[in-house]
Amino acid sequence: MYIIDVKNNKKCVVKIEPIDDQDYNYLTKSRYYFNWKTEKGNDVYKLVFKDNILGLMSLVYDAGDKRIEIHLLAVSKENRGKNKQFERIAGMLIAFACRIALKNYGIEACVSLIPKTQLKHHYIEQYQMTDARWQVFLVGQPLLNILKEYEL
Amino acid sequence: MKNNKFKDKYTEKELAESFVFRNKLTPIQKAESNLQMSSMRKEMLSSVTPNQVLLSHLLQLKYQIEDYLDNPTYDGKRSFGFYLRTYLNFLNKKNKEFAKDIDIAETELSQILNQHRKPSEKLFIRLEIHSNKIIPAITWFKLSEKEKEHEILTNDSLRIREQNHVRNVLSFP
Repeated sequence: MYIIDVKNNKKCVVKIEPIDDQDYNYLTKSRYYFNWKTEKGNDVYKLVFKDNILGLMSLVYDAGDKRIEIHLLAVSKENRGKNKQFERIAGMLIAFACRIALKNYGIEACVSLIPKTQLKHHYIEQYQMTDARWQVFLVGQPLLNILKEYEL
Repeated sequence: MKNNKFKDKYTEKELAESFVFRNKLTPIQKAESNLQMSSMRKEMLSSVTPNQVLLSHLLQLKYQIEDYLDNPTYDGKRSFGFYLRTYLNFLNKKNKEFAKDIDIAETELSQILNQHRKPSEKLFIRLEIHSNKIIPAITWFKLSEKEKEHEILTNDSLRIREQNHVRNVLSFP
Protein backbone atom coordinates (compact mmCIF):
# COMPACT_ATOMS: atom_id res chain seq x y z
CA MET A 1 0.00 0.00 0.00
CA TYR A 2 1.42 3.36 -0.92
CA ILE A 3 0.67 7.04 -1.31
CA ILE A 4 2.51 9.51 -3.53
CA ASP A 5 4.74 12.30 -2.25
CA VAL A 6 3.67 15.28 -4.37
CA LYS A 7 7.14 16.93 -4.12
CA ASN A 8 9.06 14.19 -5.89
CA ASN A 9 6.34 11.81 -7.12
CA LYS A 10 7.85 9.02 -5.02
CA LYS A 11 5.83 6.11 -3.65
CA CYS A 12 5.67 5.98 0.14
CA VAL A 13 4.63 2.74 1.79
CA VAL A 14 1.81 3.15 4.29
CA LYS A 15 -0.17 0.96 6.65
CA ILE A 16 -3.89 0.97 7.26
CA GLU A 17 -4.89 -0.45 10.61
CA PRO A 18 -7.61 -0.22 13.24
CA ILE A 19 -7.29 2.82 15.45
CA ASP A 20 -6.06 2.43 19.04
CA ASP A 21 -8.04 3.90 21.90
CA GLN A 22 -5.08 6.15 22.76
CA ASP A 23 -5.11 7.62 19.25
CA TYR A 24 -8.36 9.45 19.99
CA ASN A 25 -6.43 11.78 22.30
CA TYR A 26 -4.46 13.11 19.33
CA LEU A 27 -7.26 13.34 16.78
CA THR A 28 -7.93 17.04 16.95
CA LYS A 29 -10.71 18.68 14.99
CA SER A 30 -8.24 21.20 13.62
CA ARG A 31 -6.25 18.46 11.89
CA TYR A 32 -8.88 15.77 11.20
CA TYR A 33 -11.93 18.04 10.98
CA PHE A 34 -14.47 15.82 12.75
CA ASN A 35 -14.91 14.82 16.35
CA TRP A 36 -13.74 11.22 15.90
CA LYS A 37 -14.72 10.19 19.42
CA THR A 38 -18.32 9.96 18.18
CA GLU A 39 -17.20 7.08 15.93
CA LYS A 40 -16.00 4.83 18.76
CA GLY A 41 -18.90 2.43 18.18
CA ASN A 42 -17.85 1.91 14.54
CA ASP A 43 -14.75 0.33 13.02
CA VAL A 44 -12.33 3.21 12.61
CA TYR A 45 -9.17 2.79 10.52
CA LYS A 46 -6.12 5.03 10.27
CA LEU A 47 -3.72 5.41 7.37
CA VAL A 48 -0.25 5.74 8.85
CA PHE A 49 3.03 6.90 7.32
CA LYS A 50 6.08 6.94 9.61
CA ASP A 51 3.91 6.93 12.76
CA ASN A 52 1.94 9.88 11.43
CA ILE A 53 -1.82 9.50 10.88
CA LEU A 54 -2.63 10.99 7.48
CA GLY A 55 -6.18 9.76 7.08
CA LEU A 56 -9.10 8.29 9.00
CA MET A 57 -12.17 6.32 8.00
CA SER A 58 -15.16 5.12 9.99
CA LEU A 59 -17.02 2.07 8.70
CA VAL A 60 -20.47 0.67 9.44
CA TYR A 61 -21.13 -2.96 8.54
CA ASP A 62 -24.40 -4.32 7.25
CA ALA A 63 -23.53 -8.01 7.11
CA GLY A 64 -27.07 -9.02 6.09
CA ASP A 65 -26.80 -6.78 3.05
CA LYS A 66 -23.14 -7.72 2.44
CA ARG A 67 -22.39 -4.04 2.49
CA ILE A 68 -20.02 -1.67 4.26
CA GLU A 69 -20.91 1.99 4.54
CA ILE A 70 -18.16 4.57 4.71
CA HIS A 71 -19.71 6.68 7.42
CA LEU A 72 -16.96 9.25 7.72
CA LEU A 73 -13.59 9.88 6.10
CA ALA A 74 -11.07 12.66 6.49
CA VAL A 75 -7.59 13.35 5.23
CA SER A 76 -5.29 15.30 7.57
CA LYS A 77 -5.26 19.05 7.08
CA GLU A 78 -1.84 19.26 5.40
CA ASN A 79 -2.97 16.77 2.75
CA ARG A 80 -5.99 18.63 1.46
CA GLY A 81 -6.28 20.99 -1.46
CA LYS A 82 -3.66 22.47 -3.74
CA ASN A 83 -0.79 22.38 -1.27
CA LYS A 84 -1.22 18.81 -0.12
CA GLN A 85 1.91 16.81 0.67
CA PHE A 86 0.62 13.37 -0.33
CA GLU A 87 -1.81 12.07 -2.92
CA ARG A 88 -4.02 8.95 -2.87
CA ILE A 89 -4.87 9.00 0.84
CA ALA A 90 -8.67 9.00 0.50
CA GLY A 91 -8.54 6.60 -2.45
CA MET A 92 -6.33 4.22 -0.52
CA LEU A 93 -8.79 4.25 2.40
CA ILE A 94 -11.78 3.66 0.10
CA ALA A 95 -9.91 0.81 -1.61
CA PHE A 96 -9.18 -0.64 1.82
CA ALA A 97 -12.91 -0.61 2.63
CA CYS A 98 -13.42 -2.52 -0.65
CA ARG A 99 -10.76 -5.03 0.44
CA ILE A 100 -12.56 -5.67 3.73
CA ALA A 101 -15.91 -6.01 1.94
CA LEU A 102 -14.56 -8.46 -0.65
CA LYS A 103 -12.75 -10.49 1.98
CA ASN A 104 -15.95 -10.80 4.03
CA TYR A 105 -18.63 -11.04 1.36
CA GLY A 106 -16.98 -12.17 -1.90
CA ILE A 107 -18.35 -11.11 -5.27
CA GLU A 108 -21.58 -9.70 -3.74
CA ALA A 109 -19.58 -7.25 -1.62
CA CYS A 110 -20.72 -3.65 -1.70
CA VAL A 111 -19.21 -0.42 -0.37
CA SER A 112 -21.46 2.61 -0.14
CA LEU A 113 -21.48 6.15 1.16
CA ILE A 114 -24.00 8.96 1.52
CA PRO A 115 -22.53 11.93 -0.33
CA LYS A 116 -23.19 15.61 0.00
CA THR A 117 -25.28 16.37 -3.09
CA GLN A 118 -22.74 18.74 -4.61
CA LEU A 119 -19.90 16.22 -4.22
CA LYS A 120 -21.75 13.17 -5.52
CA HIS A 121 -20.58 13.40 -9.13
CA HIS A 122 -16.96 13.66 -7.97
CA TYR A 123 -17.18 10.33 -6.12
CA ILE A 124 -18.82 8.85 -9.22
CA GLU A 125 -16.08 10.17 -11.52
CA GLN A 126 -13.14 9.53 -9.24
CA TYR A 127 -14.04 6.04 -8.01
CA GLN A 128 -16.52 4.79 -10.63
CA MET A 129 -19.25 4.69 -8.00
CA THR A 130 -22.82 4.02 -9.09
CA ASP A 131 -25.51 6.58 -8.39
CA ALA A 132 -28.41 5.33 -6.26
CA ARG A 133 -29.87 8.80 -5.71
CA TRP A 134 -29.18 9.41 -1.99
CA GLN A 135 -26.24 7.04 -1.91
CA VAL A 136 -23.40 6.01 -4.19
CA PHE A 137 -21.88 2.56 -4.17
CA LEU A 138 -19.28 0.16 -5.53
CA VAL A 139 -20.05 -3.41 -6.47
CA GLY A 140 -18.82 -6.00 -8.99
CA GLN A 141 -16.34 -4.83 -11.63
CA PRO A 142 -16.03 -1.19 -10.42
CA LEU A 143 -15.12 -2.52 -6.97
CA LEU A 144 -12.57 -4.90 -8.51
CA ASN A 145 -11.19 -1.98 -10.54
CA ILE A 146 -10.55 0.05 -7.38
CA LEU A 147 -8.68 -2.88 -5.84
CA LYS A 148 -6.56 -3.16 -8.97
CA GLU A 149 -5.89 0.57 -9.20
CA TYR A 150 -4.74 0.70 -5.59
CA GLU A 151 -2.85 -2.63 -5.93
CA LEU A 152 -4.59 -4.41 -3.07
CA MET B 1 -19.92 20.89 5.25
CA LYS B 2 -20.10 23.21 8.23
CA ASN B 3 -21.28 26.69 7.25
CA ASN B 4 -19.73 26.26 3.85
CA LYS B 5 -16.46 27.47 5.40
CA PHE B 6 -14.54 25.23 3.02
CA LYS B 7 -16.11 26.76 -0.07
CA ASP B 8 -13.43 29.41 -0.54
CA LYS B 9 -10.58 27.19 0.53
CA TYR B 10 -11.19 24.04 -1.51
CA THR B 11 -12.86 23.13 -4.77
CA GLU B 12 -15.61 20.50 -4.70
CA LYS B 13 -13.23 18.00 -6.27
CA GLU B 14 -10.65 18.67 -3.55
CA LEU B 15 -13.33 18.19 -0.90
CA ALA B 16 -14.39 14.85 -2.42
CA GLU B 17 -10.72 13.83 -2.45
CA SER B 18 -10.40 14.62 1.25
CA PHE B 19 -13.70 13.83 2.94
CA VAL B 20 -16.78 11.75 3.29
CA PHE B 21 -18.94 14.03 5.39
CA ARG B 22 -21.38 12.92 8.03
CA ASN B 23 -24.70 12.87 6.27
CA LYS B 24 -27.88 11.49 7.71
CA LEU B 25 -30.86 10.49 5.67
CA THR B 26 -34.37 10.40 7.06
CA PRO B 27 -35.63 6.83 7.64
CA ILE B 28 -37.84 7.19 4.55
CA GLN B 29 -34.95 8.40 2.39
CA LYS B 30 -32.73 5.63 3.69
CA ALA B 31 -35.32 2.91 3.03
CA GLU B 32 -36.02 4.26 -0.44
CA SER B 33 -32.33 4.53 -1.22
CA ASN B 34 -31.50 1.06 0.10
CA LEU B 35 -34.28 -0.39 -2.02
CA GLN B 36 -33.00 1.38 -5.11
CA MET B 37 -29.42 0.37 -4.37
CA SER B 38 -30.46 -3.22 -3.76
CA SER B 39 -32.24 -3.50 -7.10
CA MET B 40 -29.32 -1.86 -8.94
CA ARG B 41 -26.87 -4.23 -7.24
CA LYS B 42 -28.93 -7.24 -8.28
CA GLU B 43 -28.96 -6.04 -11.86
CA MET B 44 -25.21 -5.38 -11.86
CA LEU B 45 -24.42 -8.73 -10.26
CA SER B 46 -26.61 -10.60 -12.74
CA SER B 47 -24.22 -9.57 -15.49
CA VAL B 48 -21.07 -10.59 -13.62
CA THR B 49 -18.94 -12.98 -15.69
CA PRO B 50 -17.45 -16.27 -14.42
CA ASN B 51 -14.05 -14.64 -14.78
CA GLN B 52 -15.03 -11.80 -12.45
CA VAL B 53 -16.37 -14.33 -9.95
CA LEU B 54 -13.11 -16.26 -10.08
CA LEU B 55 -11.05 -13.09 -9.64
CA SER B 56 -13.09 -12.09 -6.61
CA HIS B 57 -12.64 -15.59 -5.13
CA LEU B 58 -8.88 -15.40 -5.60
CA LEU B 59 -8.66 -11.92 -4.08
CA GLN B 60 -10.83 -13.06 -1.20
CA LEU B 61 -8.44 -15.97 -0.61
CA LYS B 62 -5.38 -13.71 -0.86
CA TYR B 63 -6.82 -11.25 1.69
CA GLN B 64 -7.70 -14.10 4.05
CA ILE B 65 -4.14 -15.43 3.88
CA GLU B 66 -2.60 -11.94 4.26
CA ASP B 67 -4.71 -11.16 7.32
CA TYR B 68 -3.87 -14.52 8.86
CA LEU B 69 -0.16 -13.83 8.28
CA ASP B 70 -0.53 -10.42 9.94
CA ASN B 71 -2.12 -12.04 12.96
CA PRO B 72 0.57 -13.26 15.40
CA THR B 73 -1.63 -16.17 16.51
CA TYR B 74 -0.97 -19.58 14.95
CA ASP B 75 -4.01 -21.58 13.90
CA GLY B 76 -3.36 -25.24 13.08
CA LYS B 77 -6.45 -25.37 10.86
CA ARG B 78 -5.17 -22.61 8.59
CA SER B 79 -2.37 -24.64 7.11
CA PHE B 80 -0.74 -24.28 3.71
CA GLY B 81 -2.73 -27.36 2.67
CA PHE B 82 -5.99 -25.81 3.85
CA TYR B 83 -5.51 -22.66 1.76
CA LEU B 84 -4.24 -24.59 -1.24
CA ARG B 85 -7.33 -26.78 -1.09
CA THR B 86 -9.48 -23.63 -0.99
CA TYR B 87 -7.64 -22.43 -4.11
CA LEU B 88 -8.46 -25.70 -5.87
CA ASN B 89 -12.09 -25.50 -4.76
CA PHE B 90 -12.45 -21.98 -6.14
CA LEU B 91 -11.05 -23.21 -9.44
CA ASN B 92 -13.35 -26.22 -9.25
CA LYS B 93 -10.42 -28.50 -10.14
CA LYS B 94 -9.73 -32.07 -9.15
CA ASN B 95 -6.31 -32.92 -7.70
CA LYS B 96 -5.26 -34.80 -10.83
CA GLU B 97 -6.17 -31.94 -13.13
CA PHE B 98 -4.46 -29.31 -10.96
CA ALA B 99 -1.33 -31.42 -10.47
CA LYS B 100 -1.09 -31.53 -14.25
CA ASP B 101 -1.56 -27.73 -14.47
CA ILE B 102 1.47 -27.11 -12.27
CA ASP B 103 3.45 -30.13 -13.43
CA ILE B 104 3.82 -32.04 -10.17
CA ALA B 105 2.88 -35.63 -9.36
CA GLU B 106 -0.65 -36.10 -8.07
CA THR B 107 0.74 -37.92 -5.01
CA GLU B 108 2.99 -34.93 -4.20
CA LEU B 109 0.00 -32.59 -4.40
CA SER B 110 -2.07 -34.91 -2.24
CA GLN B 111 0.70 -35.10 0.38
CA ILE B 112 0.97 -31.32 0.49
CA LEU B 113 -2.80 -30.89 0.76
CA ASN B 114 -2.88 -33.36 3.65
CA GLN B 115 0.16 -31.83 5.37
CA HIS B 116 2.32 -34.93 4.94
CA ARG B 117 4.87 -33.05 2.88
CA LYS B 118 6.31 -29.52 2.90
CA PRO B 119 5.81 -27.39 -0.20
CA SER B 120 8.93 -26.47 -2.14
CA GLU B 121 10.09 -23.14 -3.58
CA LYS B 122 9.16 -24.26 -7.06
CA LEU B 123 5.59 -24.78 -5.90
CA PHE B 124 5.34 -21.20 -4.55
CA ILE B 125 6.50 -19.87 -7.89
CA ARG B 126 4.25 -22.15 -9.92
CA LEU B 127 1.24 -21.13 -7.83
CA GLU B 128 2.04 -17.47 -8.44
CA ILE B 129 2.25 -18.10 -12.18
CA HIS B 130 -0.92 -20.21 -12.13
CA SER B 131 -2.92 -17.45 -10.43
CA ASN B 132 -1.60 -14.88 -12.92
CA LYS B 133 0.20 -13.18 -10.01
CA ILE B 134 -3.03 -12.59 -8.08
CA ILE B 135 -1.57 -14.58 -5.17
CA PRO B 136 2.19 -13.92 -5.11
CA ALA B 137 4.77 -16.64 -4.37
CA ILE B 138 5.89 -14.70 -1.30
CA THR B 139 2.41 -15.04 0.24
CA TRP B 140 2.49 -18.84 -0.17
CA PHE B 141 6.06 -18.89 1.14
CA LYS B 142 5.19 -16.88 4.25
CA LEU B 143 2.24 -19.16 4.90
CA SER B 144 4.54 -22.16 4.82
CA GLU B 145 7.07 -20.34 7.01
CA LYS B 146 4.41 -19.58 9.62
CA GLU B 147 3.91 -23.33 10.03
CA LYS B 148 7.65 -23.92 10.20
CA GLU B 149 8.05 -21.18 12.80
CA HIS B 150 5.35 -22.75 14.97
CA GLU B 151 6.98 -26.14 14.60
CA ILE B 152 10.39 -24.82 15.68
CA LEU B 153 8.88 -23.02 18.65
CA THR B 154 6.91 -25.99 19.91
CA ASN B 155 8.74 -29.19 18.87
CA ASP B 156 9.97 -30.50 22.23
CA SER B 157 10.70 -34.05 21.05
CA LEU B 158 13.08 -32.68 18.41
CA ARG B 159 14.86 -30.70 21.11
CA ILE B 160 15.34 -33.82 23.21
CA ARG B 161 16.60 -35.78 20.20
CA GLU B 162 19.03 -33.08 19.08
CA GLN B 163 20.47 -32.63 22.55
CA ASN B 164 22.51 -35.82 21.96
CA HIS B 165 24.28 -34.16 19.02
CA VAL B 166 25.56 -31.13 20.91
CA ARG B 167 28.72 -31.05 23.06
CA ASN B 168 30.37 -28.38 25.16
CA VAL B 169 27.15 -26.56 25.85
CA LEU B 170 27.95 -23.06 27.00
CA SER B 171 27.28 -22.50 30.62
CA PHE B 172 26.48 -19.26 32.37
CA PRO B 173 26.23 -18.64 36.06
